[in-house]
Amino acid sequence: MNRDKLKNIEKLIGNKKIDLAQIEISKLGPEFFKDSEYLYLRSKIFFINKLYYIALDTLLIALEFEENEKVYNLISKIYGILGNKELSKKVANPELRLNAIVSLKSELTGISQKEN
Amino acid sequence: MIKLLWNTHNQKKTNTKNKDIQSKEAVDYKWGTYHKKHSDVWIYEILKKVKYDLIDSDEKLENGDTLIIVDSSLENKIEFYDRLKLVCSKIMLFHLGDEAGLDQSKIYKSCNYVWRTFCSNKYFENQQVKCIPIGYKSGLKNKKKSERKYKWAFTGTPHKSSRHDLLYQFSDIEPFFCHKTQKFNEKIISVEEMSEVLSSTKFVPCPNGFFHPETYRVYEALECECIPIVENAYNYYDRLFPDNPFIKVNKWADARPIIQGWDEDEIKKKQNECKNWWNKYKIELQESINKKVIQ
Repeated sequence: MNRDKLKNIEKLIGNKKIDLAQIEISKLGPEFFKDSEYLYLRSKIFFINKLYYIALDTLLIALEFEENEKVYNLISKIYGILGNKELSKKVANPELRLNAIVSLKSELTGISQKEN
Repeated sequence: MIKLLWNTHNQKKTNTKNKDIQSKEAVDYKWGTYHKKHSDVWIYEILKKVKYDLIDSDEKLENGDTLIIVDSSLENKIEFYDRLKLVCSKIMLFHLGDEAGLDQSKIYKSCNYVWRTFCSNKYFENQQVKCIPIGYKSGLKNKKKSERKYKWAFTGTPHKSSRHDLLYQFSDIEPFFCHKTQKFNEKIISVEEMSEVLSSTKFVPCPNGFFHPETYRVYEALECECIPIVENAYNYYDRLFPDNPFIKVNKWADARPIIQGWDEDEIKKKQNECKNWWNKYKIELQESINKKVIQ
């Protein structure tokens, strides 16, 4: 897996070249599909394009593979935009986030692949 | 002669011990029978203007017949379609259930024209393939209620974030009807009860399906003269129906002021807009199908 490709996509997103980032990330093959950074960047593009729910689903899947501060932060930000302040705050709080995510995933039958 | 063969439930059964093949064939058969049971009324409605003989086997085909075939899980049917091509002068395919958008080019090449459910980029502007709605479940009836007691209704599985947020956003907007299920097609309410509920409902939020934006929910809402509120992801519905009057949102919170705040006149106006659009759409679809079959 070539991680430079992900760095390049991150740079494109940072430079607001979203369409180009979308094209580049679409070219990546299945070896990336369980990679937390890849899923985070996918989510970021969805989020910028106001595809909030697809972004959330992708971030929740990213957490299946790796606990990551920036993934939690983006989840919290999206719930804030959606108007679910309570969940947004819980996910932002390192002491509450794990339970909040476990509880959320237990309600979403289509996301979690793990036994919680 | 024009003949119609419903073929979704006729799925290949290979004599094999390979578990993957067995499992795939079992799923294909399950979906094939599902389509036959739940989509027949919809498909026959859009074929209303075509005069055809219904046949139950390809053995009843004669040289030169025009065949309208309703089918699903086509991947294992290439030889079957090659055989049909030798007999029929024209093959018009109604392809149901391909939510994942698999490569269907080999089968589609055997057909003169294809109508398919579950649209995707490559089919929006296709000369040989037209996307059609997945329609409503057979048995659904508009009960023509004068009073609609529910502001909104949702039945289904909250499998992903959108549905979870929908229920969070709307659960304090009363009165409503909600029936949550754990899995697709399990412990669902009957079509009769669904007809009763939808005929008593003003707004129907229609979150995207598991794989694809379209669900029966949109068309069941339209049949029962409700107002569908759809997710605007990728402008899917505007691309499928460029002049549709649905309410479209990027997030369910945007629909709260509409469900909560619209007065009866605003609701009635939108209801009529949706009803008239759907009826006109169906008539035009029936006419275009008939024209294509007989041309």
